[in-house]
Amino acid sequence: MSGLSRLSIKRWVGLVLLGLLLVLAVGEPLLLNGDPNKQNLSAGLISPNVQYWLGTDQYGRNMLARIAGGLRISFLLALFCVGTAAVSGVLAGVLAAWQRGWIDITLNFIANTILALPGLVLILIFAALIPGSFAMLYLAISLVLWVEFFRVVRALTLPVISGPQLQSSQILGFGPVYLFRRHIWPAIRHDVFSLAAFGAATSIIAMSSVGFVYVGLKPPTPELGLMIVELFPYYHEAPWLLAEPITVLFMLVLGFHLLADKPQ
Amino acid sequence: MRNQKQLVLTVFMVVLVAFMTACTPQQDPNKIIVSGPFEPINLDPASTGYIFSRMQVLETLVDVGNNGELLPGLATSWLSNDDFTQWTFTLRQNVYFHDGQPMTVEAVYKSLAVALGKPTPFAKNILTNLEIVSPSQIRFTLNQSYRPFPSLMSNYSMAIIAPSSFGTFNRIKNLVATGPYQIVHFEPPHNITTERFEQYWGEPAHIRYAEYITGHRAETRALMVRTGQADIVYNLDPAAVNMLGNESNVTVHSNAIPRTTLIKLNIGNEILSDRSVREALSLAIDRTGIAEGILRVPGVEANQIFGPMMGDWHLHNLPPPATHTQRANQLLNEAGWQKRDDGWRYRDNQRLTLNMITYANRPELIIIATAIQEQWARIGVELNVQMENVSAIPSGHADGSLQTALMARNFANIPNPLGIMLADFTSKAGGEWGPMNWSNPAVFSGVRTLSQQTETEQASVQIANILKQIHQDLPLIPVTFYIQQTATSARVKNFSFDPFERSFRLSAMRLEHGS
Amino acid sequence: MAWSVGTLTFVLVRSLPGDMAYKIAAGRYGEDAVTIEAANAVAQELGLNRSALAQYTDWMWNLLSLDLGNSLVTGAPVIEEIRIQLGYTLTLAALAIVIAAMIAFPVGILSGLKKESVVNKTALVSSTFIRSQPVFCLGLLLIFCFAMELNWLPVAGFGGPSYTVLPVLTLALSLAAVSNRLITNNTRRAVTSGYFHFARVKGLSQRRAFVRHALPNILIPTLAFMGIQLIGLIEGVIMVESLFAWPGIGHGLSHAVFARDIPMLQGTALLMGTLFVLVNALVDISQYVLDPRTRDQEQ
Repeated sequence: MSGLSRLSIKRWVGLVLLGLLLVLAVGEPLLLNGDPNKQNLSAGLISPNVQYWLGTDQYGRNMLARIAGGLRISFLLALFCVGTAAVSGVLAGVLAAWQRGWIDITLNFIANTILALPGLVLILIFAALIPGSFAMLYLAISLVLWVEFFRVVRALTLPVISGPQLQSSQILGFGPVYLFRRHIWPAIRHDVFSLAAFGAATSIIAMSSVGFVYVGLKPPTPELGLMIVELFPYYHEAPWLLAEPITVLFMLVLGFHLLADKPQ
Repeated sequence: MRNQKQLVLTVFMVVLVAFMTACTPQQDPNKIIVSGPFEPINLDPASTGYIFSRMQVLETLVDVGNNGELLPGLATSWLSNDDFTQWTFTLRQNVYFHDGQPMTVEAVYKSLAVALGKPTPFAKNILTNLEIVSPSQIRFTLNQSYRPFPSLMSNYSMAIIAPSSFGTFNRIKNLVATGPYQIVHFEPPHNITTERFEQYWGEPAHIRYAEYITGHRAETRALMVRTGQADIVYNLDPAAVNMLGNESNVTVHSNAIPRTTLIKLNIGNEILSDRSVREALSLAIDRTGIAEGILRVPGVEANQIFGPMMGDWHLHNLPPPATHTQRANQLLNEAGWQKRDDGWRYRDNQRLTLNMITYANRPELIIIATAIQEQWARIGVELNVQMENVSAIPSGHADGSLQTALMARNFANIPNPLGIMLADFTSKAGGEWGPMNWSNPAVFSGVRTLSQQTETEQASVQIANILKQIHQDLPLIPVTFYIQQTATSARVKNFSFDPFERSFRLSAMRLEHGS
Repeated sequence: MAWSVGTLTFVLVRSLPGDMAYKIAAGRYGEDAVTIEAANAVAQELGLNRSALAQYTDWMWNLLSLDLGNSLVTGAPVIEEIRIQLGYTLTLAALAIVIAAMIAFPVGILSGLKKESVVNKTALVSSTFIRSQPVFCLGLLLIFCFAMELNWLPVAGFGGPSYTVLPVLTLALSLAAVSNRLITNNTRRAVTSGYFHFARVKGLSQRRAFVRHALPNILIPTLAFMGIQLIGLIEGVIMVESLFAWPGIGHGLSHAVFARDIPMLQGTALLMGTLFVLVNALVDISQYVLDPRTRDQEQ
């Protein structure tokens, strides 16, 4: 774990921030067991108190449970998207750099086709395909993120492959797995981590953005972007309600951005 | 270094000046600005007529009063033959189109003939012929007796427009009509600007210009009226009403409109074909909670399909709706649906699960649907709510896939409820926005007889009879009636609200000068 | 590019669930007038009952003759609608870029020159703050501040210069938040470099040395980055236009997605793709013109 001690202060702050949010996301259902969708129409817009730590929304739903639910959805989406995009992007990038030829050309063509559309446009169209589907958002965001990984990894791998170290290892008869772990991975590791953290922030922003224009997940899902639009009309009566999802979203993205800070 | 600091300073100054020039809201004393959620997408009366009619550009042969009574519009009178199969309309004289041409019977014929070739919010299959009978009269022939026919002619899609409106293939290239305001600028789907039409046949408008701005979000519209960007804003949401209630320069008006939130049920479904299940579902709904908690308008709980403003068509002696969870549970037990340990009800190992379609156009629907979802869960009925495009309801009705749907049914399209009843309650097919696979021969024949009934006294008795049977049989579950919230700024005088939402009535309003 | 965008949108929209004719009827005739009859009329008029392949070849053929077809909802030619929307979007984007540059360059250069200054620290904190939220949150904050509390500016819509301030400011701030840090880094690199020191030693004043030697080295990488940032700009445009009801392409796009207006969707997506490629090409060219090194390579 020598890596941890070498983390910059920024990364530490990011890690702590995300850790706290994760504790809230996972701890709330385990310890307090609130239901994010349970309405109590006669107890709407209650300000924070001992029973409802973050108050209740316009339908008397427990805001703490909803915020925690929103965090869980955001974390899960980020995890799935980044995981899928990173694995497939790194594999495709290394493959393209290694094999060149038609594999490289095909992969580049796919990447450029996806890049021809701004990511959010693609995500919007996908989201409209099956309204309110988490799987569709996951697919679209992964597709957009994948290209980033592919391009960066391909560019970083090219010089490594033609470099003398890898070539001599190859002559010594080491297999591709060894070559990847010994030579390629160390060269791309930092960038892949950085991209992953940024990608997590991007996917969270993308989901909240489509939620905000009503194309993403559907009510009553406690998605953060959707919560912001739904609570916006009540800013006058209960400003703290609107502030809650905005603050949490902000901390989430900030956390991932700080984590993405590359060591100098 | 000084240089850069100066540059920064200059930038700040520029931005500041931009703000200052922007912050003086100008209110034109000759222009009234209204905003609502409706999107004017094109000039065609068939699709956007409802907005141009509200902006008083379009007019129809028949007008509608506050209580749904029919009034002379572009036709001064109408008459039918004895069996209500032929209707003759006498046109108003000295009416001019916005292009200065007189409204002739030929122009009216052409306008109606084109309009009848397009989709309309009512069924046209009763029409067999349209003819000119004299220089001021036009006649419709029907294939059946249809007493509420004149009310169809009040629909915006039947508005009279000038021959110069039509381009090739009778496409609408301009909208030249007869109303007190004419279009001067149109930017779909955001803006319509109109100017007073000086040759209007009735009393000309007081305010010279009227502008409609599409305000996509309710909260935005509320802020527009608060900041003086708009003079009247329509369709406010509960939160906005609360906010505007504290403003001294804004007045909020609440008016009942002929629209009801209903649960459409597919009676052909094996679960819902059982009347006691339908009753249980209705009894489980907490309408007061929905009215006060979600809509924030106490007293709009619905115990029947038509609201209190619908005259004979509203039964005043029905008991108010009440929540009876216990009775609902009992009914379901008797129907063979037993509760299991997991909280849901089962019959023959089949779980009591229903799907409900609702749509996003009216933001309160999905919230009411989630409330119902929870209230039905209390009696062990599982409900899956699907938020769809509004078209999912007619589409699900057509292919039979719909189980239940939560919808806000508009009864203002045809101001005479008899027209709605004839369309929706005379066959098992029902209506896209009405009952589905429901069969009640007594009601069906009762409605048909009513179509030929001319004695008002007797008609009232028959109507009450029909409504009671529908109330008993529950082909649709009523949830709430509608209250429309509108806000006006202080300078608007003589504001009135058209409950049938055919007109914003701007031509009768005035703007108070200097404040 | 045009082909891939068009085909992609065609396939995706084709596979959208639900009957198209009904959705289009809903967009056209309004919520209260969608009926089976209206849907059938729409299907007939638009030939929606034909096979997907026939419709696809039709569309491709029209595209080749630069005809984007008519909007399914409004019936107006797509090219007309896009032309109007494009004007609004370009105004918004151009103003945003100018304001962003006006903020980012002074702030960036100033904080690059003096690392310990208040400007640098403020810039760092506010940039991080702005970057850590989606564009729509930033827009909301500005609305709260300037439209709701101070009552200076209109909340949304368009109809005069005052309406442009908030959307432009939202976009500009989000762009500047990223580019000012880049300018800071480039400035720092330039003024600590050997050639800058040499110029100073040579006797040039701080100012002349900066303008002659440091500035070009700050501009070139910044320009390249600005090109990349335009992705962010286009995405920002979609959100900002939706938030402020600004009648541009982004607004048109999200509307087309709802109404299933395939020609509009293809048109707007195509245009965004084209703009995107065009801007990238422009950035490459200007870099070529500004940077003598790239020209030398060619020879």
